[in-house]
Amino acid sequence: MKKAVVALAGNPNVGKSAIFNALTGAKQKLGNWPGVTVEKKEGICKYKDIEMHIVDLPGIYGLTASSIDEKIARDFILHNKPDLVVDIVDASNIERNLYLTLQLIEMDANIVIALNKVDLAESKGYKIDAKKLSEKLGLPVVPTVAIRNKGIEELKRAMYNAIKTKIKSSLRYNDKLESVISLIEQKVVEKRVLPEYPSRFVAIRLLEGDEEILRSANLQEEVIKQWILQRS
Amino acid sequence: MDFATELANARYELIGKIISSSVKKVSKPKSFSDLVDTVVLDKYLGIPIFLTLMWAAFQFSFSVSAPFSDAIDIFFGAAAEWAKASISNEILASLVGDGIFGGLGFVLVFLPPIAFVFVSLAILEDSGYLPRAAFIMDRVMSKVGLHGKSFIPMLLGFGCNVPAIMACRTIENDVDRKITIMVNPLMSCSARLPVYILFAGVFFSGYEGAAIVSMYLLGIVLAAIMATVIRRILFGGRISPFLMEMPDYTMPSLKLVLNSAWIRTQIFLKKAATILFVGALFMWFLTVFPWDATGGGEILDNSYASLVGHIMEPLIKPLGLNWKAGVALLSGFMAKEIVVGTLGILYGVESEEAIQSALSQDFNPITALVMMAITLIYLPCLATIGVLKRELGEWKLVSLVILYELVLAYAVAALIVVSGKVLGVV
Repeated sequence: MKKAVVALAGNPNVGKSAIFNALTGAKQKLGNWPGVTVEKKEGICKYKDIEMHIVDLPGIYGLTASSIDEKIARDFILHNKPDLVVDIVDASNIERNLYLTLQLIEMDANIVIALNKVDLAESKGYKIDAKKLSEKLGLPVVPTVAIRNKGIEELKRAMYNAIKTKIKSSLRYNDKLESVISLIEQKVVEKRVLPEYPSRFVAIRLLEGDEEILRSANLQEEVIKQWILQRS
Repeated sequence: MDFATELANARYELIGKIISSSVKKVSKPKSFSDLVDTVVLDKYLGIPIFLTLMWAAFQFSFSVSAPFSDAIDIFFGAAAEWAKASISNEILASLVGDGIFGGLGFVLVFLPPIAFVFVSLAILEDSGYLPRAAFIMDRVMSKVGLHGKSFIPMLLGFGCNVPAIMACRTIENDVDRKITIMVNPLMSCSARLPVYILFAGVFFSGYEGAAIVSMYLLGIVLAAIMATVIRRILFGGRISPFLMEMPDYTMPSLKLVLNSAWIRTQIFLKKAATILFVGALFMWFLTVFPWDATGGGEILDNSYASLVGHIMEPLIKPLGLNWKAGVALLSGFMAKEIVVGTLGILYGVESEEAIQSALSQDFNPITALVMMAITLIYLPCLATIGVLKRELGEWKLVSLVILYELVLAYAVAALIVVSGKVLGVV
């Protein structure tokens, strides 16, 4: 049986544990993330010919590595390069939740969206067109109500397909910003800056002045500013 | 150009576009939660409502638990009498009667009020009110140098400072996190509750709830002040913005409330069976030995406890406290519940009735407040110091916490004494 590593990502309180339990059933393992006392949950979900190893990442609002939780999540995606990231989006809080989704897309991850709590969203008066959302994001979107086990089979199928086909979103920002990003990305590729990470991710993080990436790339913020200035 | 802001804007712009084409908002009448929130989160009503609820929670816990406490009290009093009468070996009789039933029993008297406080807090928590309290307090806290996200760890501090300090890991900004950790021991944990209950019961009868809430408020105010001071002196910098989610109000389920109260009460019971038990034995030893000199605990002035207490006395005498209070406070370093157990042993009483008259002789309302305030502020307990070291990383910052708490405790106590004199209360 083929093995695949799947990371569960999402904001706090989106029903991540419920999705995790629904996917893995009783086969769970509790531990700690290396070096810190943040709980790490792992489990297995078998679907057709793939054995999916599910890793529950800490609940986070972004991937800026500014808290221990965000750093754990980011490092896991960067270093362990999971075959798939299931991004759990709280449908009743979709606007805030999509921020993390965009950051996951920046990391060039292979993503499936579990649009959880759709019942709650509806009762709050939100009508979400999952198909349209999927189209716009360029990612598979599966509506679920994890606590009632709704949509879990569909989610498993989508996960299976995504692992097999590896579709990546080509979602982009406005042209003005993208021209700067691609400029930096070129430099990143040229100068072989952190070649083990996705170049677009490195470029965006350098632009944002992410201290950790700057440090591990051994670059000063001034250098990045010069790169931008050289062009114009 | 600042690309961090630029990128954040671009992400929100894109999210806006995606949502406008895939999500439709059907207008619904205001939900029940929204209606309640217009009142509860009101700029002016918010804080009075918060204070009233907290006061009600304590007053309720206090009144409801009284008969249970009396029952435990009578039981341990009788058990001590029985032990002393039926054990022939003098030392053993004193150990079981005064040490175990006297010291530990005296701590267990506070089990019912603690359990009921936990029930009240669980109701506030499960109903969805506590996050609102955090929101209301954030308005105040952000003005005084604490991050809004600090509120949850601060709130947890009302239970126990150890998990509360660990919960500070959720604060992204390192400076905000360190400041929150360093002021967390000022949040009045449940271990200090027995001391408040004891003194409030004797000296503020009828106003116990108000007296206890005032200690909690004192802790919050001091935490806010210290947060500002620490930020100014040690770190500098701005407070990062705060985002919080408001869950809908729900009817608390009896099962969940009892369950969460039980789990927290169990921690108290476990502590009673371990560290408080050992502490009671240790304090008993200090009060009855040297055996011959004290005449088997009859002449307290000749005991080791008295020796230690008298060394401390010059320091606390200006605050109106005697050496017994000093020994009690010293013993609280192990765990703050031990303070009442020690008082029980030192005053040689097994029942709550007896200690009330004994305390009335040595304390007055002002020194009772002093004792409560010092217990709140003076020292993090041993377990808290351990977790402070782990989460702050350096002993330098930990010793700073211990130092500022000792100084602050003394200053606040002195302030209470002076105010008492000025107001002519005593």
